[in-house]
Amino acid sequence: MITVKQLEHEFRIGKKGKETIVPVLRDVNLTVNAGEIVAVVGRSGSGKSTLLNLISGYIAPVQGKIMINGTDVTGMSEGEWADFRLENIGFIFQSFQLIPTMTAFENVQLPLVFKGVKEVDRKIQTETMLKKVGLWEFKDHYPGELSGGQQQRVSIARALIVHPPLILADEPTGSLDSENERALLSFIQQLNREENITFLIITHDEEVANIAHRKITISDGRLVEGSDTDEI
Amino acid sequence: MRFKDRLAFVLSNMKKNRMRVFMTVLASTMGCAFLIVLASVGFGVQKTAVEDITGGRLLTQIDTFTTSEEKPFIKKDIDMMKEIDHVKAVTSRQRIQNEGNVSLDGYSKDLFEVFVPDFKDEQKAGLELSKGRFPQAANEVVVGYHYGENLSKVQKNKKEITYKASLYHKTLTLTIKQKEGKKTKKKTIALKVVGVGEKPPKRVQEGQELFLTKDVLQTIEAFTKTPKGMSKSDIDPKHPQPYNTYDDVKVYADDAENVESIEKELKKKEYVASSRLDSLKEINFVFLFIKIGLIVVGTVAVLIASIGIFNTMTMAVTERTQDIGIMKAIGAHPRSIKQIFLLESVIIGGLGAVLGTIISYLFSFAANALLPVIISTFFQTKVPDDFYFSYIPLSLPLISFAICFGVTLLSGMRPARRATKIDVLRALRRDV
Ligand SMILES: Nc1ncnc2c1ncn2[C@@H]1O[C@H](COP(=O)(O)OP(=O)(O)OP(=O)(O)O)[C@@H](O)[C@H]1O
Ligand SMILES: [Mg+2]
Repeated sequence: MITVKQLEHEFRIGKKGKETIVPVLRDVNLTVNAGEIVAVVGRSGSGKSTLLNLISGYIAPVQGKIMINGTDVTGMSEGEWADFRLENIGFIFQSFQLIPTMTAFENVQLPLVFKGVKEVDRKIQTETMLKKVGLWEFKDHYPGELSGGQQQRVSIARALIVHPPLILADEPTGSLDSENERALLSFIQQLNREENITFLIITHDEEVANIAHRKITISDGRLVEGSDTDEI
Repeated sequence: MRFKDRLAFVLSNMKKNRMRVFMTVLASTMGCAFLIVLASVGFGVQKTAVEDITGGRLLTQIDTFTTSEEKPFIKKDIDMMKEIDHVKAVTSRQRIQNEGNVSLDGYSKDLFEVFVPDFKDEQKAGLELSKGRFPQAANEVVVGYHYGENLSKVQKNKKEITYKASLYHKTLTLTIKQKEGKKTKKKTIALKVVGVGEKPPKRVQEGQELFLTKDVLQTIEAFTKTPKGMSKSDIDPKHPQPYNTYDDVKVYADDAENVESIEKELKKKEYVASSRLDSLKEINFVFLFIKIGLIVVGTVAVLIASIGIFNTMTMAVTERTQDIGIMKAIGAHPRSIKQIFLLESVIIGGLGAVLGTIISYLFSFAANALLPVIISTFFQTKVPDDFYFSYIPLSLPLISFAICFGVTLLSGMRPARRATKIDVLRALRRDV
């Protein structure tokens, strides 16, 4: 599903000419197979989010190659990325990233709007998805009128609405209490089992890492297969 | 993304900022209205001045005469004039000169302004009909727009009334008279009105004509045995009048610019030629500057309004940076985002342009209707009839609409482009 080859990334900070280079990732190679749940762990500041942002296309790597679902995404334009995301990737964020001025319903149907799906079809699909995450009664609530757990379920519904084969999640349980966390994790397992959705999850959390088929640790900008408990 | 959805986005966005949108629309409305009203004053005063000078005649029209009455225009003259460079058309009319009359349902009128034109030349010169068509059969005629006003009858109470109904498709009776010794012979010809001329501009003594076909002229001449139906008593037997002479000859240039050279050419050929061009040229030149000045000032107003649109759109983009970041993060195309913001500025600018145009029309009507009243009440001066304080030719709202629309589109362009350049990660971190 995801193949990362010899990926390298660094940030430049400061004014032009006097900038300092912060190397973050070096020679990163990673393969995530279809149907896997892979957790990426590592110390704070180790570059986990950076890796995910590169795979999401939010930043472009300094070097290396990324393939997603058979497509070489390195060097794609913003427009190509937009279309690619709509077809292939669902996103779950730590802070939900719902649009506050839109209702739960409107937030969930947003990817379909971008895709140009007709309103009637959108209605049906959005209803199905909201029912699936158990929030149909809350369809007219704005994000500010929902609990953290409910907001995260809205964002999951939004990620699932286009039926992507892959979901990328950066600390999806970071803003949830333990009860909501458990519910989310079992939902992830269910989606993985029933719909064969591939998950790449970044986390700090032992419990999250425990549901993964595979754990990958980032340390010193390099990937190490398996978990090194001292690092976490 | 569908247009309908983009529109829905824009509308909900505008609804959330009603006050700001309203103020921006107001500013662009005022800018656009200001531009049109200002320019319309220039156009109005110019129109008044031009109509005073030309009496409504075309600028390209050159009235042509021969140097003496003994030497009337003949066909050769007309053909020669048609050969001059830049001549669009030459109209040549023969005037019926007979003591007879035209009558309809008891109303009648003497044979004043009865012409036999060449309809093809008249059409080329720009004669247009408000109704009907040009004659096809011998007894069909075209009348001027105001022809009916001179058809009159005296009622029993000795009051004179004129014919009010439309003459279209009515049959006029033309009576031709000729003296034979002491007796007067009469001949009547039925004429069907198949066309009515265009309404001539105000305060012009036109639209009184009756246009006959050449066939009717032949009938008349065969009856009177004189050219154009002239009375035998008017003809000095020693100087017999020739047939086929033309009384009213006008040359039309293809463009006002060429009037001068044609005039020169006509004079070289020993005709008398006159147009209103010289005096008009001067006045139009002055008005050109006035109008350009007014439009420039008006455009400044539109530019000021466009700063408002620029600000509004920049704020709209800034305010929604996070939303835009989220949208981009989950797969919104930068093109769609740009179009959403462009659409918003186009709607604001378009609303302003439409409202501004409507308001300036209202203003223009009000100024023309009310200013004369106000001036005569408070300043004891009478405004001449048909004085245009403000005149909006069709081109003016089109130009202003284009200016308003173009300026708003341009001012919305940068904010819209900025929206597409928003960095997803920064927006998601909410540190913008
Ligand atoms: N935009 C940026 N500009 C400069 N440096 C950055 C930028 N983003 C991240 N970094 C640096 O890159 C390194 C990795 O950051 P990253 O966010 O990937 O860490 P992380 O593993 O996700 O940490 P955490 O677990 O705390 O979220 C850090 O040292 C950070 O300072
Ligand atoms: Mg992180």
